[in-house]
Amino acid sequence: MARDKIYLEEIFPSPFMQLWQVFRKTPVAMLGGSCFVFLIVLAIFGPILAPYSPIEGQLDMLLLPPAWNNDGNVSYLLGTDELGRDMLSRLMYGTSLTFGLSFIVVIISLIIGVVIGSLSALTTGLKSSFLNHFLDVVLSIPSLLLAIIIVAILGPGIANTVWAVVLVLIPQFIHITRYAVKEESRKDYVLASKLDGASPFRILYYSIFPNITDRIMGQATLAQSAAILDIATLGFLGLGAQIPLPEWGATLANGLDLFYIAPWTVYLPGLAILFAVVATNLVGEGIRHALKVRKDR
Amino acid sequence: MLVFTLRRLSLFIFTMLLLTLVSFSVNFLFPGDSIINLTGAINATPNQLIGLNEAYQTNRNIFWQYIAYLGHIINGEFGLSMASQSDIATEVVKMLPATIELSLVALLIAMLIGIPLGFIAAIKHGKFTDSLILSVSMFGYSIPVFWLGLLAILTFSINLGWFPSAGQISLLFEIKLVTGIQFIDILLSDSPYKWQAFSDATAHIILPACVIALAPATIFIRLARTSMIEVLGTSYIRAASAKGLSFRQIIFRHAIRNALIQIIRHVGLQFANLVTIAMVTEVIFSWPGIGRWLIESIYQRDYTAIESGLLVLSCFIFIVHILTDFIYAALNPLARGNKYGA
Amino acid sequence: MNLLDIRNLSIELISDDKNIRAVDKVSLSMKEGEVRGLVGESGSGKSLLAQALVGVLNDKWHVHADRFHWRGIDLLRLSIEERKAVLSRDIAMIFQEPMACLDPTTSIGEQLIEAIDSSQLSGFFWQKHQQRQLAAIRLLHKVGIKDHKTCLKSYPHQLTEAFCQRVMIAMALARRPILLIADEPTAAMEITNEGQIFRLLASLNQLKNMAILLISHDIENITSWTNTITVMYSGQFVEAGTTSQIFSNPLHPYTRALVDSSPSANLHLPAKSRLKALPGSIPILQHLPIGCRLGPRCPRAHRACVVAPSVTNFHGHEVSCHFPLTSLKKPRSKAIKEVC
Repeated sequence: MARDKIYLEEIFPSPFMQLWQVFRKTPVAMLGGSCFVFLIVLAIFGPILAPYSPIEGQLDMLLLPPAWNNDGNVSYLLGTDELGRDMLSRLMYGTSLTFGLSFIVVIISLIIGVVIGSLSALTTGLKSSFLNHFLDVVLSIPSLLLAIIIVAILGPGIANTVWAVVLVLIPQFIHITRYAVKEESRKDYVLASKLDGASPFRILYYSIFPNITDRIMGQATLAQSAAILDIATLGFLGLGAQIPLPEWGATLANGLDLFYIAPWTVYLPGLAILFAVVATNLVGEGIRHALKVRKDR
Repeated sequence: MLVFTLRRLSLFIFTMLLLTLVSFSVNFLFPGDSIINLTGAINATPNQLIGLNEAYQTNRNIFWQYIAYLGHIINGEFGLSMASQSDIATEVVKMLPATIELSLVALLIAMLIGIPLGFIAAIKHGKFTDSLILSVSMFGYSIPVFWLGLLAILTFSINLGWFPSAGQISLLFEIKLVTGIQFIDILLSDSPYKWQAFSDATAHIILPACVIALAPATIFIRLARTSMIEVLGTSYIRAASAKGLSFRQIIFRHAIRNALIQIIRHVGLQFANLVTIAMVTEVIFSWPGIGRWLIESIYQRDYTAIESGLLVLSCFIFIVHILTDFIYAALNPLARGNKYGA
Repeated sequence: MNLLDIRNLSIELISDDKNIRAVDKVSLSMKEGEVRGLVGESGSGKSLLAQALVGVLNDKWHVHADRFHWRGIDLLRLSIEERKAVLSRDIAMIFQEPMACLDPTTSIGEQLIEAIDSSQLSGFFWQKHQQRQLAAIRLLHKVGIKDHKTCLKSYPHQLTEAFCQRVMIAMALARRPILLIADEPTAAMEITNEGQIFRLLASLNQLKNMAILLISHDIENITSWTNTITVMYSGQFVEAGTTSQIFSNPLHPYTRALVDSSPSANLHLPAKSRLKALPGSIPILQHLPIGCRLGPRCPRAHRACVVAPSVTNFHGHEVSCHFPLTSLKKPRSKAIKEVC
């Protein structure tokens, strides 16, 4: 006779699954996560889905207020700006610029920063102290200032903005990778690997990396919200995306002259930036909260 | 304590040298002739050019050029602004105090609002107040500062008319420039309209300071909350509660002091963040500070000004960072050890 | 009259999936001037019990009992604040790592003065300050610290653990408690200092007739200092009685194992033989056995042990077991059907 299972089988999920389970249970984090995914989809498919061109304007539809206003037109859902360009399309294109580029920026600086950081964490002594001081100096210069300086050297333009923000975010990733790797290498399981005879790279790749990935992910979301704000600020200051690219900060700067007659040209891009940053921050908070819960268990 | 001071001083000097190195090398990266970038003398005659070349040692190798540059910086000669052809050093001296004033007031507001709110959130941990404060702080953290400044001007200056929207003080008042910090200048001057000038300057500074203070305040809320939660979980708080102290006594006598110590070391970092935000806000509110000057120089491609501005601003930020390190070490004797190990 | 009378105290952690009973129906009673030892492995819930007594438990733990009397006052009828007021007036507690229990940013003198009860002082404001200083110095002398000047000015990290523990005892004495709970007071110290602390506690007990509840995991250590001992295992009450009863005639298999595993009981073993110990380890909170929690480990366990045993009293020697050692009840063999 076949015996049924008498004992409850204990399933021990992997650390990532644990993280995901806690993340799933937090409704706010899931909300942020879904907004984040929505923005990514919009960034990729925005140019296809947008109803009008963001660059060419309809000259007979200048400064239309949004559709819920009395003078608005439903086919121009969020109104138009002073050149007759549809705000909705501009914002959708802008998603791929501000949000999409910030995502790419974070990935590039993450890869470079983590590689440099983990390699430098293996060094000790004078080199390490020097690097520490150097990083301290670079991290104490505010990120926006550094980005502005780099853009001043390279000249304005969205490509240069991307490089500037990448260069600014790399030290942050180096710092956190160094700190995390050093902290983990003090633990006993790394010592066990070392005693087994593993080379430093092997230890790094197999033992340490899986354990610091979540911390790096938490930092990546912080870096992304900083990147979105930096790209938008540079666009606003006129140092980033140039006319007529519909980057959110540049769109906002565009609407500045007409603030009193057409306030929606200023409100809407700002709301878009706020939405993107809040979504990123919610995801980041969710990850950090899940990390804390997992550690407390 | 002496060893700590020496170590910090050496760090400071090292950092200053590094900053000047960065600023020097930026010279060569800017387009145009490097000597002109260095001095800003775009209209120099050939004779003057030879003289400048001599002064900055351009015929010798890079190391001597750097030494010469360093010499000029220490003497206080930053060169001329390429756009306005006025001496940069005097302009900086005029405008840096305004930025210092704005940043310090904003820092004060951020700390006065952020830290108590963070403590309250920690005491009511897990309850509704905690979640409310955290969500509000998340929004404050996510708002782009330039948008917030514009909205603030729209609501408070234009719609409600409570505060003025630009400048440091109304042009009607003629306050003599002594230190550059408006409030001190007003108190030092002997104008008959002293108190009106004071209230006018206060009205001018409130709006930009609050706009700047919002993001750092939310970070302080988060820092204060984490710090206080950690302190409330320690053994000595439990022992104090077993000793018979009331909750209020525990909070005010022990918890706050220990929590504040953890926060102070972050103030230095936050200040750097704050100064950056101040730069953008100065542009929006037309505040006559060094941030606005720097951004305008970038528009105008005024390389000399950019270099000097970068140097001065970073120097200022780093000095504040070191000062907070000192205050932290003075308050917490355990922190005077080695900061960087192997 | 009993100083402290607790019947069936339980401490639970209520979470959405299940309730975890960290302390399951423990009874404890103490007389005036008695030194009682509370022995158990780490994880047996003894610290939780002590913290519940003083009232410093976290809000996530729920405490309920059938009877909770303090000097005749029924504490279950009072509100939480009143209960805390009564208990904190008369009970003091010292903790495991004394240095961590002192505020690192305040000097010892300030912390000691804080502990002094203002109602015991009289006079004007400045006189009270003077009196507080004198009281602090007196307390330090009472615990054997002669050099009070240096002590009052120093910070906790500048002193040793044993010193800090004396300071903690001084702070506990400031309110003239009737019961002092010592939660593993010497766990963080060297053996030489341990003896000093225990001697101090014994002298306080004799001179002031102060009852002491001494919590420890080492039964042999505290036998020379205690009058009575209560043994706990995994949150359940196991055995209680006078020290000599417990040591010479342990009735519960667990107590027997504890007594057998102490070094003095193993002195006569032949060389290279195994030390006597109970196999297995204490169950974790997520997987507590039903009934008697020693069940899985107990060498005398039978089917009856899935029901929690009740307390039987043999001339003041209480034990909670279905099949106590050297008693009339013997476990029947498996061939015969059990009757619970």
